[in-house]
Amino acid sequence: MHAMRQVVAFGGGGFSQESGNPLLDDYVLGLTGTASPRICFLPTASGDADHYLVRFYNAFRDRARPSHVSLFRRERGVSDIRSHLLAQDLIYVGGGSLISLLGVWRAHGIDSVLREAYEAGVILCGLSAGSLCWFTEAVSGYHGEVNRVPALGFLSHSNAVHYCVGDRRAAFHRHLLDGMPAGYAAEDGAALRFVGDELVEVVASRPEARAYKLERRGNQVLETRLATRYLGGQPLATVIPLARQAA
Amino acid sequence: MTISRRILALGGHDFDRRAGNDAICDLIVELADSPRPRICLLPTASGDPEDQIVRFKRSFAERDCVPSVISLFRLGESPVDLREELLGQDVIYAGGGSMVNLIAIWRAHGLDEILRECWREGVLICGQSAGAMCWFEGGITSSQGEPAVADGLGLLPGSACVHYLTEPVRRRRFLRAITAGELEPGLGLEDQTAALFEDAALAETITAREGAAVWEVTAENGTARETELHSRVLEDSRPPINGMRGEILELRQTLATRAGQRRGARRRPGRF
Repeated sequence: MHAMRQVVAFGGGGFSQESGNPLLDDYVLGLTGTASPRICFLPTASGDADHYLVRFYNAFRDRARPSHVSLFRRERGVSDIRSHLLAQDLIYVGGGSLISLLGVWRAHGIDSVLREAYEAGVILCGLSAGSLCWFTEAVSGYHGEVNRVPALGFLSHSNAVHYCVGDRRAAFHRHLLDGMPAGYAAEDGAALRFVGDELVEVVASRPEARAYKLERRGNQVLETRLATRYLGGQPLATVIPLARQAA
Repeated sequence: MTISRRILALGGHDFDRRAGNDAICDLIVELADSPRPRICLLPTASGDPEDQIVRFKRSFAERDCVPSVISLFRLGESPVDLREELLGQDVIYAGGGSMVNLIAIWRAHGLDEILRECWREGVLICGQSAGAMCWFEGGITSSQGEPAVADGLGLLPGSACVHYLTEPVRRRRFLRAITAGELEPGLGLEDQTAALFEDAALAETITAREGAAVWEVTAENGTARETELHSRVLEDSRPPINGMRGEILELRQTLATRAGQRRGARRRPGRF
């Protein structure tokens, strides 16, 4: 039997960006199906910033068994990273620079360990760079210009985060017309849950946060707003009707 | 006049007041040989920590330089043209940390090529620890935990090992690597020492701390041989303690202001 392969990709949000709003973090913890999940934080994209680690432990120490892997200070951390990551219920990847993240992971062989963990059923999640990394291509605006960046490809789609911020939308459309594979964009507060390669649910920590599916149709881009479940419980707008718009 | 390509490799250095560190900062400014040298820190190897950046800026601002920093982890906040910014410097200083991460991140951003170009164009390249070893063909990294051989960028021939006598495990690994031919012969650099290379040849070795040396390490008849090189001795330029009174007052003032800001600050959402 194959383990269920799952990725939850946040457009933005969670403890990193929504201090005081635990909805997305609670959601991913809930997916583990255990009362005290083992959750390991990879803050690589931030350069293992100390303040980020502190915020992670503050956010999770009372509701999970948190740990982290630092690739900048390996001499002081867990010695066998592979076994440590494979023993987790959830791997949570922080935001920052996608290009630096991928460079460091590849140098340490973390990319293949994560693939192994994914296939073994460890849930992978993250925001921003920690979302983009799982897809085949990322539309990343982190370094000024909004560029296509080839990522790990655990999911065959493309991805954009913090959608609607700056010129990411225009860039996503342009790259699709240039031949980038179809994909998904998520706004801050929205999260895409994939089982295998398939999107099964969109959830949000804010009632207004949305996610979109984007694909090329001829020489146009079809952008579809996706039904989103607000995790806050209020029946404010539990299911948003699908609205289609061509751009 | 031909431009000389220069690299100053430091065995261990920080922008603080420990013996020898000030003298090395002075040496860098002297080698920059420019009225108000532009000096750029690349703190990549340690993940761009804020405290290192603050110490660097303070140290070189007070030496009448124009300090700047390129943080590859925070380019989103301040995008720059990396090539243009780096080619416009008199000095580039690579900080210490993880040599494996340093090289991986530089390559991912295409910075290795840009830095090679800066070196050819006459920008003085400095670096300490991982930021020193990275310019050689190889070095001994502790990036993976236990000291291990790591490839460098190869601008300089041979190998290097930093923190030479203070980290005996690293030194032993270096000696073994040279004996076994895993690394080319090279230099063992103690903390607060430096090796200056001009056009990829060793021009001079320098020590800024009493008793600290640079060692040449070669393989001979199946063993490693360490030879202490004759080094120029730098005088510690540290001002007498009463000369620092103004700075101490300023420091206290800054700390008090910051504490006030913290008390008054509202929590803002994180950046990531």
